[in-house]
Amino acid sequence: MKIRRILALVLALTAITGAALAAFDASKTIAVVSREEGSGTRGAFIELTGVQAKNAEGKDQDYTYAEADFVNGTSLVITTVASDPAAIGYASLSSVVVNDSVKSVKVNGVEASTENILNNTYPIARPFNIVTKGEATDELAKDFIAFIMSKQGQEEVANDGLVPVANDAPEYKPAGLKGTLVVGGSTSVAPVMELLGEAYSALNPEVEVDVQSTGSSAGVTGALDGTYMIGMASRALKDSEVEAGALGLAIGIDGIAVIVSPENPTEDLTLEQVRQIFVGEVTTWAELSK
Amino acid sequence: MRGLFLASACVCILAVGTISAFLFANGLPFFAKYSAWDFITGTEWAPLRNVFGILPMIVGSFYVTFGALLLGAPIGILTAILMARFASKPVVKVMKPAVALLAGIPSVVYGFFGLMLLVPFVRKAFGGTGKSVLVASVLLAIMILPTIIQTSEAAINAVPGSYYEGSLALGATHESSVFRSVVPAARPGIISGIVLGLGRAIGETMAIIMVAGNNPRMPFDILKGVRTLTVNVLMEMGYAADVHRESLIATGVVLFIIVMAINFLFSFINRRRVLQ
Repeated sequence: MKIRRILALVLALTAITGAALAAFDASKTIAVVSREEGSGTRGAFIELTGVQAKNAEGKDQDYTYAEADFVNGTSLVITTVASDPAAIGYASLSSVVVNDSVKSVKVNGVEASTENILNNTYPIARPFNIVTKGEATDELAKDFIAFIMSKQGQEEVANDGLVPVANDAPEYKPAGLKGTLVVGGSTSVAPVMELLGEAYSALNPEVEVDVQSTGSSAGVTGALDGTYMIGMASRALKDSEVEAGALGLAIGIDGIAVIVSPENPTEDLTLEQVRQIFVGEVTTWAELSK
Repeated sequence: MRGLFLASACVCILAVGTISAFLFANGLPFFAKYSAWDFITGTEWAPLRNVFGILPMIVGSFYVTFGALLLGAPIGILTAILMARFASKPVVKVMKPAVALLAGIPSVVYGFFGLMLLVPFVRKAFGGTGKSVLVASVLLAIMILPTIIQTSEAAINAVPGSYYEGSLALGATHESSVFRSVVPAARPGIISGIVLGLGRAIGETMAIIMVAGNNPRMPFDILKGVRTLTVNVLMEMGYAADVHRESLIATGVVLFIIVMAINFLFSFINRRRVLQ
């Protein structure tokens, strides 16, 4: 008798919690989940959504909501968002598409997908460019670029969480060159470039790839004045840079998905709403649907 | 044989020495670029804009540690008293390994437990995100329990039997003999258990980073997030470069000094008691 009563109680409790989970409470405070200061994903996200803005002194300031939940890693963002129906976070697209525990929302009505990033309609994405002065003439630089755009090179790009730009890229065959290749520029592109450099050196043992992270603008300038054989920029080239002879080539695209719990009925947010949430101007889900 | 003992002792001292040297050598240059006073009293942490204020983290560390002791110390001491003087042999036989097991659980497992059970519970019960000073304190309280229980129990068991028997002989009950005579005699050991627990709590990182929300602003609300000194270092070390990186090592220096100060204060208090 006693056991049956306990069992009934347990069942009732499960039913209550189940019901609580099923109904989404829009009056709940939005639990904003952000990456830590210094993270490349956060840097790209705040820049593309406008969470980063000029302050009174004219300097870029990160206005991420102070009450956000700060976590240090893509997987923790996903776990946190998955476990809280009122949460919203962001993570690189490649890590989200393979994960069913969270749902990515449309931004400005555009779904976060590889296709939409490649056709430039998804707003929270930026190209990772390599920059040369005109067509590359140096044999070593040409061969390295050929490697980056090859099947193996694009695999490295995908391994780093970027959307590869070439799908049916040809296989790379080492040309047996030697020397040192100096690549410099964007700090965001540098990590994937290090990976590419290592993979390239593994195939061409006599080539050393020296990756210097100085910033996108310095990368373009360096490519133009010959400091770098190849420059790196985590943005599209400016008109003035193209006029000066800089030639950009996208090696991969960094896409960031805005994610919520699958229990959250929100399907679509505008870029402005995303900004409002992440700076703390809008704090409840109900306020958002007005 | 003597050489072996000496060598063992040297390894220990060498480790402490190297860590201190590393910490100060890497952390102190930061203070040449940034005022130590602004670092310790600043309330804003925006490393990418070169604003480094760790007062929120200092307050945060003390806040969660104090919370953990408030919850953990009474529970721990009472458990130790139970195990030493009240519980029957079979109960103690079960409890001892259970407490030892609690001590052996890796902190990341505690963190996961907190993230999956305590955080959702607090979220449902009190609202907000659930990641809070409260959860961090409760989790830390559980984590420091074994330290407090084991040290206190050993201290209580080390009190000479004559204290207890003498008290009984004077007509005191079992309860008042334990609480008025045995426990006060074991006080130095119990206090050192609490200080050891405090040390563990203030240094804990992995479990806290998962449940505390890690907001780098002054923590006041017990239901809102907090960032401790240790979390600050672990959280941003992965991507930090240049001055940002140095500021994190400097955070470590501050934590190191705080822990040293607590240890010295404790041994000073203990010595004074012995002298009296």
